[in-house]
Amino acid sequence: MARLPDWLAAEAVPPPTTALRGRGGVRFARKGLAAVFGAAVALLDPREGGLRRGWLCEIDARAKIVGLLGLLACALFSRSLAALVACLFWVLLVWALGGVGWQRLGAALLGVPLFAVALCTPAALNLVTPGRPVLVLCHLGAGSWGPWSWPETLALTDQGLLVAVRLLLRIAACASIGALMTASTRPGDLFRGLRGLGVPSGFVLVLDMTVRYLAVLLQSAEEIHLAKLSRSIAHVPTRRDRAWVAAGIGEVYRKSRKLAGEVGDAMVSRGFSGEVKSLSAGCWGWPETAFVCASAVGATSSLVLGWGG
Amino acid sequence: MTDTVFGFDGVCFSYPGFGTCLEEVSLRVGRGERIALLGANGSGKSTVLRLMDGLQFASRGEVRALGEALSPATVERPPFGPRFRKEVGFLFQDSDAQLFSPTVEEELAFGPLQMGWGREEITERISGALDLMSISALRRRSPQSLSAGEKKKVALASLLVLSPSVLLLDEPTAGLDPRSQGSLLELLDELHGAGLTTVTATHDLELVPHLADRAIVLGEDHRVAADRPVRDVLADTDLLVRVNLIHAHRHRHGALVHSHPHRHTVMHEHPHRHDDG
Repeated sequence: MARLPDWLAAEAVPPPTTALRGRGGVRFARKGLAAVFGAAVALLDPREGGLRRGWLCEIDARAKIVGLLGLLACALFSRSLAALVACLFWVLLVWALGGVGWQRLGAALLGVPLFAVALCTPAALNLVTPGRPVLVLCHLGAGSWGPWSWPETLALTDQGLLVAVRLLLRIAACASIGALMTASTRPGDLFRGLRGLGVPSGFVLVLDMTVRYLAVLLQSAEEIHLAKLSRSIAHVPTRRDRAWVAAGIGEVYRKSRKLAGEVGDAMVSRGFSGEVKSLSAGCWGWPETAFVCASAVGATSSLVLGWGG
Repeated sequence: MTDTVFGFDGVCFSYPGFGTCLEEVSLRVGRGERIALLGANGSGKSTVLRLMDGLQFASRGEVRALGEALSPATVERPPFGPRFRKEVGFLFQDSDAQLFSPTVEEELAFGPLQMGWGREEITERISGALDLMSISALRRRSPQSLSAGEKKKVALASLLVLSPSVLLLDEPTAGLDPRSQGSLLELLDELHGAGLTTVTATHDLELVPHLADRAIVLGEDHRVAADRPVRDVLADTDLLVRVNLIHAHRHRHGALVHSHPHRHTVMHEHPHRHDDG
Protein backbone atom coordinates (compact mmCIF):
# COMPACT_ATOMS: atom_id res chain seq x y z
CA MET A 1 0.00 0.00 0.00
CA ALA A 2 1.30 3.47 -0.88
CA ARG A 3 2.41 5.57 2.08
CA LEU A 4 2.50 9.36 1.77
CA PRO A 5 5.94 10.90 2.37
CA ASP A 6 6.18 13.14 5.44
CA TRP A 7 6.64 16.31 3.42
CA LEU A 8 3.34 15.64 1.61
CA ALA A 9 1.41 14.64 4.71
CA ALA A 10 2.70 17.62 6.74
CA GLU A 11 -0.01 20.13 7.60
CA ALA A 12 2.17 23.23 7.57
CA VAL A 13 3.39 23.85 4.04
CA PRO A 14 6.01 26.60 3.85
CA PRO A 15 4.88 29.50 1.63
CA PRO A 16 6.93 30.31 -1.48
CA THR A 17 9.78 32.66 -0.74
CA THR A 18 9.69 34.41 -4.11
CA ALA A 19 6.70 36.04 -5.74
CA LEU A 20 5.77 35.63 -9.39
CA ARG A 21 7.05 38.55 -11.37
CA GLY A 22 6.56 39.54 -14.95
CA ARG A 23 2.79 38.99 -14.71
CA GLY A 24 2.29 41.54 -17.50
CA GLY A 25 4.15 39.32 -19.95
CA VAL A 26 2.16 36.27 -18.87
CA ARG A 27 -1.14 38.11 -19.32
CA PHE A 28 0.00 39.38 -22.70
CA ALA A 29 0.89 35.86 -23.87
CA ARG A 30 -2.39 34.46 -22.58
CA LYS A 31 -4.48 37.20 -24.19
CA GLY A 32 -2.51 36.90 -27.40
CA LEU A 33 -3.10 33.15 -27.64
CA ALA A 34 -6.79 33.55 -26.80
CA ALA A 35 -7.15 36.26 -29.47
CA VAL A 36 -5.41 34.17 -32.13
CA PHE A 37 -7.55 31.17 -31.21
CA GLY A 38 -10.74 33.28 -31.43
CA ALA A 39 -9.69 34.67 -34.80
CA ALA A 40 -8.98 31.18 -36.14
CA VAL A 41 -12.38 29.91 -34.98
CA ALA A 42 -14.09 32.97 -36.53
CA LEU A 43 -12.24 32.36 -39.78
CA LEU A 44 -13.38 28.75 -39.90
CA ASP A 45 -16.96 29.15 -38.76
CA PRO A 46 -19.19 30.93 -41.28
CA ARG A 47 -21.63 31.85 -38.51
CA GLU A 48 -19.07 33.69 -36.44
CA GLY A 49 -18.63 37.43 -36.74
CA GLY A 50 -21.35 37.90 -39.35
CA LEU A 51 -18.65 38.75 -41.86
CA ARG A 52 -20.02 36.94 -44.86
CA ARG A 53 -23.05 38.46 -46.44
CA GLY A 54 -23.87 40.25 -49.68
CA TRP A 55 -23.69 39.25 -53.32
CA LEU A 56 -19.91 39.02 -53.41
CA CYS A 57 -20.07 36.10 -50.98
CA GLU A 58 -22.36 34.23 -53.36
CA ILE A 59 -20.05 34.48 -56.36
CA ASP A 60 -18.11 31.37 -57.34
CA ALA A 61 -14.66 31.36 -55.71
CA ARG A 62 -12.96 30.79 -59.09
CA ALA A 63 -14.30 34.12 -60.38
CA LYS A 64 -13.11 35.91 -57.26
CA ILE A 65 -9.66 34.33 -57.49
CA VAL A 66 -9.25 35.28 -61.16
CA GLY A 67 -10.69 38.79 -60.76
CA LEU A 68 -8.79 39.67 -57.59
CA LEU A 69 -5.55 38.14 -58.93
CA GLY A 70 -5.79 40.63 -61.80
CA LEU A 71 -6.02 43.52 -59.36
CA LEU A 72 -3.24 41.99 -57.24
CA ALA A 73 -0.93 41.79 -60.27
CA CYS A 74 -1.72 45.43 -61.01
CA ALA A 75 -0.86 46.42 -57.42
CA LEU A 76 2.35 44.40 -57.44
CA PHE A 77 3.78 45.54 -60.76
CA SER A 78 2.66 49.18 -61.00
CA ARG A 79 5.29 51.79 -60.19
CA SER A 80 3.05 54.78 -60.64
CA LEU A 81 1.33 56.25 -57.57
CA ALA A 82 -1.76 57.01 -59.64
CA ALA A 83 -2.07 53.37 -60.67
CA LEU A 84 -1.69 52.19 -57.09
CA VAL A 85 -4.28 54.69 -55.82
CA ALA A 86 -6.65 53.63 -58.61
CA CYS A 87 -6.10 49.97 -57.75
CA LEU A 88 -6.83 50.60 -54.06
CA PHE A 89 -9.91 52.59 -55.09
CA TRP A 90 -11.20 49.64 -57.15
CA VAL A 91 -10.71 47.22 -54.28
CA LEU A 92 -12.54 49.53 -51.87
CA LEU A 93 -15.32 50.00 -54.42
CA VAL A 94 -15.78 46.22 -54.76
CA TRP A 95 -15.75 45.97 -50.98
CA ALA A 96 -18.40 48.67 -50.60
CA LEU A 97 -20.67 47.34 -53.35
CA GLY A 98 -20.13 43.68 -52.45
CA GLY A 99 -21.98 43.93 -49.15
CA VAL A 100 -19.08 42.37 -47.23
CA GLY A 101 -18.68 43.35 -43.56
CA TRP A 102 -16.15 46.13 -42.87
CA GLN A 103 -14.41 44.55 -39.89
CA ARG A 104 -11.68 42.80 -41.88
CA LEU A 105 -11.05 45.92 -43.99
CA GLY A 106 -10.37 47.89 -40.82
CA ALA A 107 -7.75 45.35 -39.81
CA ALA A 108 -6.24 45.31 -43.31
CA LEU A 109 -6.13 49.07 -43.82
CA LEU A 110 -5.08 50.07 -40.32
CA GLY A 111 -3.15 47.14 -38.88
CA VAL A 112 -1.01 46.05 -41.80
CA PRO A 113 -0.03 49.50 -43.18
CA LEU A 114 0.69 50.70 -39.65
CA PHE A 115 3.21 47.91 -39.39
CA ALA A 116 4.47 48.82 -42.86
CA VAL A 117 5.04 52.46 -41.84
CA ALA A 118 7.62 51.28 -39.34
CA LEU A 119 9.36 49.35 -42.10
CA CYS A 120 9.35 52.02 -44.80
CA THR A 121 10.05 55.10 -42.70
CA PRO A 122 13.84 54.72 -43.04
CA ALA A 123 13.38 54.64 -46.82
CA ALA A 124 12.04 58.22 -46.70
CA LEU A 125 15.22 59.53 -45.04
CA ASN A 126 18.21 60.86 -46.94
CA LEU A 127 20.38 58.35 -45.10
CA VAL A 128 18.84 55.60 -47.22
CA THR A 129 17.37 57.34 -50.26
CA PRO A 130 19.30 60.39 -51.51
CA GLY A 131 17.28 63.19 -53.10
CA ARG A 132 16.02 66.74 -52.67
CA PRO A 133 15.32 67.41 -48.98
CA VAL A 134 11.73 68.45 -48.31
CA LEU A 135 11.82 68.46 -44.50
CA VAL A 136 14.95 68.77 -42.39
CA LEU A 137 14.63 66.82 -39.15
CA CYS A 138 17.96 67.62 -37.47
CA HIS A 139 21.57 68.57 -38.11
CA LEU A 140 24.06 65.75 -37.82
CA GLY A 141 27.20 67.36 -39.08
CA ALA A 142 28.73 65.61 -42.08
CA GLY A 143 31.17 62.87 -41.31
CA SER A 144 32.28 59.35 -42.01
CA TRP A 145 33.35 56.23 -40.20
CA GLY A 146 35.11 53.52 -42.12
CA PRO A 147 33.14 52.81 -45.28
CA TRP A 148 30.08 54.71 -43.95
CA SER A 149 29.38 58.41 -44.35
CA TRP A 150 26.41 60.55 -43.42
CA PRO A 151 25.09 63.87 -44.70
CA GLU A 152 25.07 67.27 -43.00
CA THR A 153 21.41 67.03 -42.07
CA LEU A 154 18.87 64.26 -41.44
CA ALA A 155 15.95 64.99 -43.76
CA LEU A 156 13.03 63.52 -45.60
CA THR A 157 13.71 63.55 -49.33
CA ASP A 158 11.26 63.72 -52.22
CA GLN A 159 12.65 60.49 -53.68
CA GLY A 160 12.49 58.80 -50.29
CA LEU A 161 8.90 59.88 -49.70
CA LEU A 162 7.98 58.61 -53.15
CA VAL A 163 9.50 55.19 -52.37
CA ALA A 164 7.82 55.05 -48.94
CA VAL A 165 4.38 56.11 -50.18
CA ARG A 166 4.60 53.69 -53.10
CA LEU A 167 5.46 50.84 -50.75
CA LEU A 168 2.70 51.84 -48.36
CA LEU A 169 0.07 52.02 -51.11
CA ARG A 170 1.20 48.70 -52.54
CA ILE A 171 0.96 47.02 -49.15
CA ALA A 172 -2.46 48.59 -48.45
CA ALA A 173 -3.82 47.44 -51.83
CA CYS A 174 -2.44 43.90 -51.48
CA ALA A 175 -3.64 43.55 -47.88
CA SER A 176 -7.09 44.81 -48.84
CA ILE A 177 -7.33 42.35 -51.73
CA GLY A 178 -6.34 39.47 -49.44
CA ALA A 179 -8.78 40.60 -46.76
CA LEU A 180 -11.57 40.97 -49.33
CA MET A 181 -10.96 37.44 -50.54
CA THR A 182 -11.02 35.88 -47.06
CA ALA A 183 -13.92 38.03 -45.84
CA SER A 184 -16.15 37.04 -48.72
CA THR A 185 -15.14 33.39 -49.15
CA ARG A 186 -15.19 30.42 -46.79
CA PRO A 187 -11.81 28.62 -46.71
CA GLY A 188 -13.41 25.45 -48.10
CA ASP A 189 -14.88 27.33 -51.07
CA LEU A 190 -11.59 29.10 -51.67
CA PHE A 191 -9.69 25.81 -51.83
CA ARG A 192 -12.33 24.26 -54.08
CA GLY A 193 -11.95 27.31 -56.31
CA LEU A 194 -8.18 26.83 -56.44
CA ARG A 195 -8.72 23.17 -57.31
CA GLY A 196 -11.20 24.19 -60.01
CA LEU A 197 -8.54 26.44 -61.53
CA GLY A 198 -6.16 23.49 -61.83
CA VAL A 199 -3.99 23.85 -58.71
CA PRO A 200 -2.75 20.30 -57.88
CA SER A 201 -5.04 18.45 -55.45
CA GLY A 202 -2.19 17.45 -53.09
CA PHE A 203 -1.20 21.08 -52.60
CA VAL A 204 -4.80 22.24 -52.06
CA LEU A 205 -5.51 19.35 -49.66
CA VAL A 206 -2.52 20.23 -47.47
CA LEU A 207 -3.56 23.90 -47.38
CA ASP A 208 -7.14 22.95 -46.61
CA MET A 209 -6.22 20.67 -43.71
CA THR A 210 -3.73 23.19 -42.34
CA VAL A 211 -6.37 25.89 -42.11
CA ARG A 212 -8.98 23.49 -40.73
CA TYR A 213 -6.85 22.16 -37.91
CA LEU A 214 -5.30 25.50 -37.02
CA ALA A 215 -7.93 26.06 -34.35
CA VAL A 216 -7.40 22.60 -32.81
CA LEU A 217 -3.64 23.10 -32.56
CA LEU A 218 -3.99 26.64 -31.27
CA GLN A 219 -6.25 25.32 -28.56
CA SER A 220 -3.53 22.81 -27.66
CA ALA A 221 -0.99 25.64 -27.50
CA GLU A 222 -3.30 27.63 -25.23
CA GLU A 223 -3.82 24.62 -22.93
CA ILE A 224 -0.06 24.01 -22.71
CA HIS A 225 0.42 27.65 -21.78
CA LEU A 226 -2.35 27.56 -19.16
CA ALA A 227 -0.97 24.32 -17.69
CA LYS A 228 2.38 26.00 -17.27
CA LEU A 229 0.74 29.10 -15.82
CA SER A 230 -1.16 27.07 -13.22
CA ARG A 231 2.14 25.76 -11.84
CA SER A 232 4.05 29.04 -12.07
CA ILE A 233 4.82 30.35 -8.59
CA ALA A 234 8.11 32.13 -8.82
CA HIS A 235 9.87 33.97 -11.60
CA VAL A 236 12.15 31.71 -13.63
CA PRO A 237 15.25 32.75 -15.58
CA THR A 238 14.66 33.72 -19.21
CA ARG A 239 16.74 30.79 -20.38
CA ARG A 240 14.38 28.33 -18.69
CA ASP A 241 11.39 30.19 -20.05
CA ARG A 242 12.85 29.86 -23.55
CA ALA A 243 13.42 26.15 -22.98
CA TRP A 244 9.80 25.78 -21.91
CA VAL A 245 8.55 27.63 -25.03
CA ALA A 246 10.69 25.36 -27.22
CA ALA A 247 9.28 22.29 -25.44
CA GLY A 248 5.74 23.62 -25.96
CA ILE A 249 6.37 24.13 -29.68
CA GLY A 250 7.75 20.60 -29.87
CA GLU A 251 4.68 19.19 -28.14
CA VAL A 252 2.30 21.02 -30.50
CA TYR A 253 4.35 19.71 -33.43
CA ARG A 254 4.12 16.15 -32.06
CA LYS A 255 0.35 16.51 -31.66
CA SER A 256 0.00 17.92 -35.16
CA ARG A 257 1.86 14.93 -36.61
CA LYS A 258 -0.28 12.46 -34.69
CA LEU A 259 -3.45 14.29 -35.69
CA ALA A 260 -2.35 14.38 -39.33
CA GLY A 261 -1.92 10.60 -39.31
CA GLU A 262 -5.32 10.04 -37.72
CA VAL A 263 -7.07 12.43 -40.10
CA GLY A 264 -5.54 10.57 -43.01
CA ASP A 265 -6.78 7.27 -41.58
CA ALA A 266 -10.27 8.69 -40.97
CA MET A 267 -10.43 9.84 -44.59
CA VAL A 268 -9.23 6.51 -45.97
CA SER A 269 -11.71 4.73 -43.70
CA ARG A 270 -14.56 6.53 -45.45
CA GLY A 271 -13.34 5.75 -48.93
CA PHE A 272 -10.96 8.65 -49.67
CA SER A 273 -9.12 8.02 -52.91
CA GLY A 274 -7.05 11.15 -53.42
CA GLU A 275 -9.65 13.75 -54.36
CA VAL A 276 -11.92 15.58 -51.92
CA LYS A 277 -15.32 16.04 -53.51
CA SER A 278 -17.89 18.57 -52.41
CA LEU A 279 -21.65 18.78 -52.29
CA SER A 280 -21.67 22.35 -53.49
CA ALA A 281 -20.60 22.11 -57.11
CA GLY A 282 -19.38 25.51 -58.30
CA CYS A 283 -21.47 27.18 -60.97
CA TRP A 284 -20.26 29.83 -63.41
CA GLY A 285 -23.04 32.17 -64.53
CA TRP A 286 -23.35 35.77 -65.61
CA PRO A 287 -22.50 37.25 -62.17
CA GLU A 288 -19.14 35.47 -62.28
CA THR A 289 -18.43 36.63 -65.82
CA ALA A 290 -19.50 40.18 -64.90
CA PHE A 291 -17.23 40.17 -61.85
CA VAL A 292 -14.19 38.99 -63.81
CA CYS A 293 -14.88 41.58 -66.55
CA ALA A 294 -15.31 44.39 -64.00
CA SER A 295 -12.07 43.39 -62.27
CA ALA A 296 -10.27 43.31 -65.63
CA VAL A 297 -11.60 46.80 -66.41
CA GLY A 298 -10.46 48.00 -62.98
CA ALA A 299 -6.96 46.54 -63.35
CA THR A 300 -6.55 47.79 -66.93
CA SER A 301 -7.77 51.30 -66.16
CA SER A 302 -5.37 51.49 -63.21
CA LEU A 303 -2.47 50.50 -65.43
CA VAL A 304 -3.52 52.96 -68.14
CA LEU A 305 -3.76 55.72 -65.52
CA GLY A 306 -0.26 54.76 -64.39
CA TRP A 307 1.15 55.03 -67.92
CA GLY A 308 -0.57 58.35 -68.41
CA GLY A 309 0.89 59.68 -65.15
CA MET B 1 -24.57 -20.41 -37.69
CA THR B 2 -23.67 -16.74 -38.38
CA ASP B 3 -21.30 -16.00 -41.25
CA THR B 4 -17.95 -14.51 -40.30
CA VAL B 5 -17.43 -10.77 -40.72
CA PHE B 6 -13.90 -10.64 -39.32
CA GLY B 7 -11.44 -13.46 -38.79
CA PHE B 8 -7.95 -13.12 -37.26
CA ASP B 9 -5.59 -16.09 -37.55
CA GLY B 10 -2.35 -15.89 -35.59
CA VAL B 11 -2.09 -12.14 -36.17
CA CYS B 12 1.03 -10.33 -34.99
CA PHE B 13 1.55 -6.63 -35.35
CA SER B 14 4.14 -4.09 -34.25
CA TYR B 15 4.64 -0.40 -34.94
CA PRO B 16 8.21 0.24 -36.13
CA GLY B 17 10.30 1.23 -33.14
CA PHE B 18 7.55 0.59 -30.57
CA GLY B 19 7.80 -3.15 -30.01
CA THR B 20 5.02 -5.73 -30.20
CA CYS B 21 1.46 -4.52 -30.28
CA LEU B 22 -0.38 -7.80 -30.95
CA GLU B 23 0.94 -11.32 -30.46
CA GLU B 24 -0.67 -14.39 -32.06
CA VAL B 25 -4.20 -12.99 -31.92
CA SER B 26 -6.94 -15.25 -33.29
CA LEU B 27 -10.60 -14.32 -33.12
CA ARG B 28 -13.89 -14.45 -35.02
CA VAL B 29 -16.67 -11.89 -35.31
CA GLY B 30 -19.96 -13.16 -36.74
CA ARG B 31 -22.56 -11.11 -38.60
CA GLY B 32 -24.97 -9.33 -36.25
CA GLU B 33 -22.81 -9.90 -33.16
CA ARG B 34 -22.08 -7.28 -30.50
CA ILE B 35 -18.49 -7.63 -29.37
CA ALA B 36 -16.60 -5.75 -26.69
CA LEU B 37 -12.82 -5.56 -26.96
CA LEU B 38 -11.58 -5.23 -23.41
CA GLY B 39 -8.09 -4.52 -22.21
CA ALA B 40 -5.94 -2.11 -20.27
CA ASN B 41 -4.29 0.89 -21.91
CA GLY B 42 -1.73 -0.24 -24.48
CA SER B 43 -3.06 -3.79 -24.72
CA GLY B 44 -3.78 -3.39 -28.45
CA LYS B 45 -7.56 -2.77 -28.61
CA SER B 46 -7.32 0.18 -31.01
CA THR B 47 -4.81 -1.73 -33.14
CA VAL B 48 -7.28 -4.61 -33.53
CA LEU B 49 -9.89 -2.10 -34.75
CA ARG B 50 -7.40 -0.54 -37.16
CA LEU B 51 -6.53 -3.96 -38.55
CA MET B 52 -10.25 -4.72 -38.95
CA ASP B 53 -10.71 -1.43 -40.83
CA GLY B 54 -7.78 -2.05 -43.15
CA LEU B 55 -5.84 0.95 -41.87
CA GLN B 56 -2.97 -1.25 -40.65
CA PHE B 57 -1.98 -4.66 -41.89
CA ALA B 58 -0.76 -7.70 -39.98
CA SER B 59 3.01 -8.22 -39.78
CA ARG B 60 2.32 -11.97 -39.54
CA GLY B 61 -0.85 -14.04 -39.76
CA GLU B 62 -4.01 -13.18 -41.67
CA VAL B 63 -6.91 -10.78 -41.16
CA ARG B 64 -10.04 -11.58 -43.17
CA ALA B 65 -12.96 -9.20 -43.53
CA LEU B 66 -16.21 -9.78 -45.43
CA GLY B 67 -14.68 -12.93 -46.91
CA GLU B 68 -11.43 -11.39 -48.22
CA ALA B 69 -7.92 -11.37 -46.78
CA LEU B 70 -7.04 -7.75 -46.06
CA SER B 71 -3.92 -6.30 -47.65
CA PRO B 72 -3.02 -2.85 -48.99
CA ALA B 73 -3.94 -4.09 -52.46
CA THR B 74 -7.31 -5.65 -51.63
CA VAL B 75 -8.68 -2.64 -49.71
CA GLU B 76 -7.93 -0.38 -52.67
CA ARG B 77 -9.00 -2.66 -55.49
CA PRO B 78 -12.60 -2.41 -56.76
CA PRO B 79 -15.10 -3.85 -56.33
CA PHE B 80 -14.04 -5.09 -52.88
CA GLY B 81 -12.33 -1.84 -51.76
CA PRO B 82 -15.31 0.54 -52.10
CA ARG B 83 -17.71 -2.14 -50.78
CA PHE B 84 -15.48 -2.71 -47.74
CA ARG B 85 -15.27 1.04 -47.02
CA LYS B 86 -19.03 1.36 -47.31
CA GLU B 87 -19.82 -1.67 -45.16
CA VAL B 88 -17.33 -1.02 -42.35
CA GLY B 89 -17.55 2.24 -40.40
CA PHE B 90 -14.89 3.24 -37.88
CA LEU B 91 -15.67 5.69 -35.07
CA PHE B 92 -12.36 7.13 -33.92
CA GLN B 93 -11.71 7.90 -30.27
CA ASP B 94 -10.62 11.44 -31.12
CA SER B 95 -13.54 13.09 -32.89
CA ASP B 96 -11.30 15.96 -33.98
CA ALA B 97 -9.41 13.55 -36.21
CA GLN B 98 -12.61 12.33 -37.79
CA LEU B 99 -14.25 15.69 -38.48
CA PHE B 100 -12.20 17.39 -41.17
CA SER B 101 -14.83 19.05 -43.37
CA PRO B 102 -15.83 22.73 -43.26
CA THR B 103 -19.45 22.09 -42.24
CA VAL B 104 -21.40 19.26 -40.64
CA GLU B 105 -23.31 18.77 -43.90
CA GLU B 106 -20.06 18.44 -45.89
CA GLU B 107 -18.75 16.06 -43.24
CA LEU B 108 -21.70 13.74 -43.73
CA ALA B 109 -21.43 14.06 -47.50
CA PHE B 110 -17.74 13.07 -47.55
CA GLY B 111 -18.24 9.29 -47.61
CA PRO B 112 -21.21 9.20 -50.02
CA LEU B 113 -19.40 11.55 -52.44
CA GLN B 114 -16.39 9.23 -52.38
CA MET B 115 -18.78 6.40 -53.25
CA GLY B 116 -19.99 8.40 -56.25
CA TRP B 117 -23.65 8.48 -55.24
CA GLY B 118 -26.10 11.00 -56.72
CA ARG B 119 -26.49 14.38 -55.02
CA GLU B 120 -30.21 13.93 -54.46
CA GLU B 121 -29.71 10.65 -52.64
CA ILE B 122 -26.84 12.09 -50.62
CA THR B 123 -28.93 15.08 -49.51
CA GLU B 124 -31.78 12.79 -48.50
CA ARG B 125 -29.46 10.52 -46.51
CA ILE B 126 -27.81 13.48 -44.79
CA SER B 127 -31.19 14.79 -43.65
CA GLY B 128 -32.13 11.32 -42.41
CA ALA B 129 -28.90 10.84 -40.48
CA LEU B 130 -29.10 14.31 -38.93
CA ASP B 131 -32.69 13.66 -37.85
CA LEU B 132 -31.75 10.28 -36.39
CA MET B 133 -29.04 11.87 -34.25
CA SER B 134 -31.22 14.93 -33.44
CA ILE B 135 -28.57 17.30 -34.76
CA SER B 136 -30.37 18.89 -37.71
CA ALA B 137 -29.75 22.33 -36.19
CA LEU B 138 -25.98 21.78 -36.59
CA ARG B 139 -26.17 21.22 -40.34
CA ARG B 140 -24.38 24.46 -41.36
CA ARG B 141 -22.05 24.61 -38.36
CA SER B 142 -18.32 24.03 -38.46
CA PRO B 143 -17.51 20.70 -36.74
CA GLN B 144 -14.60 22.31 -34.93
CA SER B 145 -16.95 24.67 -33.09
CA LEU B 146 -19.08 21.88 -31.56
CA SER B 147 -19.03 20.38 -28.05
CA ALA B 148 -17.51 16.92 -27.45
CA GLY B 149 -20.94 15.25 -27.37
CA GLU B 150 -22.05 16.99 -30.57
CA LYS B 151 -18.79 16.06 -32.29
CA LYS B 152 -19.31 12.41 -31.37
CA LYS B 153 -22.85 12.51 -32.76
CA VAL B 154 -21.67 14.10 -36.00
CA ALA B 155 -18.87 11.54 -36.31
CA LEU B 156 -21.35 8.68 -35.85
CA ALA B 157 -23.83 10.27 -38.29
CA SER B 158 -21.03 10.54 -40.87
CA LEU B 159 -20.66 6.75 -40.64
CA LEU B 160 -24.37 5.90 -40.56
CA VAL B 161 -25.02 7.92 -43.70
CA LEU B 162 -23.16 5.19 -45.61
CA SER B 163 -25.51 2.48 -44.22
CA PRO B 164 -22.66 0.32 -42.92
CA SER B 165 -23.29 -3.25 -41.80
CA VAL B 166 -20.40 -3.15 -39.32
CA LEU B 167 -19.45 -0.46 -36.82
CA LEU B 168 -16.03 -0.36 -35.17
CA LEU B 169 -16.18 1.90 -32.13
CA ASP B 170 -13.03 3.06 -30.35
CA GLU B 171 -13.94 4.18 -26.81
CA PRO B 172 -17.24 5.65 -28.02
CA THR B 173 -18.33 6.98 -24.63
CA ALA B 174 -15.00 8.57 -23.65
CA GLY B 175 -15.43 12.23 -22.76
CA LEU B 176 -19.23 12.18 -23.01
CA ASP B 177 -21.55 13.43 -20.29
CA PRO B 178 -24.10 10.94 -18.84
CA ARG B 179 -26.96 12.13 -21.07
CA SER B 180 -24.88 11.85 -24.24
CA GLN B 181 -23.64 8.43 -23.09
CA GLY B 182 -27.24 7.31 -22.54
CA SER B 183 -28.46 8.44 -25.94
CA LEU B 184 -25.44 6.85 -27.64
CA LEU B 185 -26.10 3.52 -25.89
CA GLU B 186 -29.77 3.64 -26.91
CA LEU B 187 -28.83 4.33 -30.51
CA LEU B 188 -26.29 1.50 -30.59
CA ASP B 189 -28.91 -0.83 -29.16
CA GLU B 190 -31.35 0.17 -31.90
CA LEU B 191 -28.70 -0.30 -34.57
CA HIS B 192 -27.96 -3.76 -33.23
CA GLY B 193 -31.68 -4.50 -33.41
CA ALA B 194 -31.53 -3.51 -37.08
CA GLY B 195 -28.83 -6.16 -37.66
CA LEU B 196 -25.61 -4.14 -37.41
CA THR B 197 -22.45 -5.84 -36.21
CA THR B 198 -20.61 -3.77 -33.63
CA VAL B 199 -17.12 -4.15 -32.22
CA THR B 200 -16.47 -1.75 -29.36
CA ALA B 201 -13.08 -1.16 -27.78
CA THR B 202 -13.40 0.03 -24.21
CA HIS B 203 -12.09 -0.35 -20.69
CA ASP B 204 -15.27 0.99 -19.13
CA LEU B 205 -16.59 -2.20 -17.55
CA GLU B 206 -19.84 -0.61 -16.36
CA LEU B 207 -20.95 0.04 -19.94
CA VAL B 208 -19.89 -3.29 -21.39
CA PRO B 209 -23.18 -5.14 -20.65
CA HIS B 210 -25.01 -2.41 -22.56
CA LEU B 211 -22.58 -2.48 -25.49
CA ALA B 212 -21.94 -6.16 -26.09
CA ASP B 213 -22.96 -9.77 -25.61
CA ARG B 214 -19.49 -11.27 -26.06
CA ALA B 215 -16.19 -9.93 -24.77
CA ILE B 216 -12.73 -10.48 -26.21
CA VAL B 217 -10.18 -9.62 -23.55
CA LEU B 218 -6.65 -8.58 -24.48
CA GLY B 219 -3.97 -9.03 -21.87
CA GLU B 220 -0.98 -6.84 -21.21
CA ASP B 221 1.09 -9.43 -23.08
CA HIS B 222 -0.92 -8.40 -26.21
CA ARG B 223 -2.54 -11.83 -26.55
CA VAL B 224 -6.19 -12.82 -26.28
CA ALA B 225 -6.72 -13.62 -22.60
CA ALA B 226 -10.39 -14.61 -22.89
CA ASP B 227 -13.18 -14.79 -25.45
CA ARG B 228 -16.44 -15.45 -23.62
CA PRO B 229 -19.91 -14.02 -22.99
CA VAL B 230 -19.78 -10.65 -21.26
CA ARG B 231 -21.50 -11.99 -18.15
CA ASP B 232 -18.82 -14.65 -17.64
CA VAL B 233 -15.96 -12.23 -18.22
CA LEU B 234 -17.32 -9.66 -15.78
CA ALA B 235 -17.82 -12.35 -13.14
CA ASP B 236 -14.21 -13.55 -13.45
CA THR B 237 -12.43 -11.27 -10.99
CA ASP B 238 -9.12 -13.13 -11.30
CA LEU B 239 -9.10 -12.56 -15.06
CA LEU B 240 -9.98 -8.88 -14.70
CA VAL B 241 -7.21 -8.37 -12.14
CA ARG B 242 -4.73 -10.28 -14.31
CA VAL B 243 -5.40 -8.12 -17.39
CA ASN B 244 -5.37 -4.93 -15.29
CA LEU B 245 -9.02 -4.02 -15.80
CA ILE B 246 -9.73 -3.92 -12.08
CA HIS B 247 -7.34 -3.58 -9.21
CA ALA B 248 -7.13 -3.80 -5.46
CA HIS B 249 -6.95 -0.51 -3.66
CA ARG B 250 -7.73 0.91 -0.30
CA HIS B 251 -11.04 2.67 0.29
CA ARG B 252 -13.26 3.75 3.16
CA HIS B 253 -16.72 2.82 4.29
CA GLY B 254 -17.31 5.23 7.11
CA ALA B 255 -14.73 4.38 9.72
CA LEU B 256 -13.84 1.11 8.01
CA VAL B 257 -10.82 1.13 5.70
CA HIS B 258 -10.07 -1.92 3.63
CA SER B 259 -8.64 -3.06 0.32
CA HIS B 260 -9.83 -5.50 -2.35
CA PRO B 261 -10.20 -5.58 -6.13
CA HIS B 262 -13.46 -4.17 -7.42
CA ARG B 263 -15.06 -2.30 -10.27
CA HIS B 264 -15.94 1.33 -9.78
CA THR B 265 -19.66 2.03 -9.75
CA VAL B 266 -21.58 4.79 -8.11
CA MET B 267 -22.61 2.36 -5.33
CA HIS B 268 -20.52 -0.81 -5.33
CA GLU B 269 -21.72 -3.74 -3.27
CA HIS B 270 -19.71 -5.90 -0.92
CA PRO B 271 -21.10 -9.40 -0.54
CA HIS B 272 -18.29 -10.29 1.92
CA ARG B 273 -17.88 -9.22 5.54
CA HIS B 274 -15.93 -6.06 6.16
CA ASP B 275 -13.47 -7.59 8.56
CA ASP B 276 -10.24 -6.97 6.69
CA GLY B 277 -9.89 -3.28 7.55
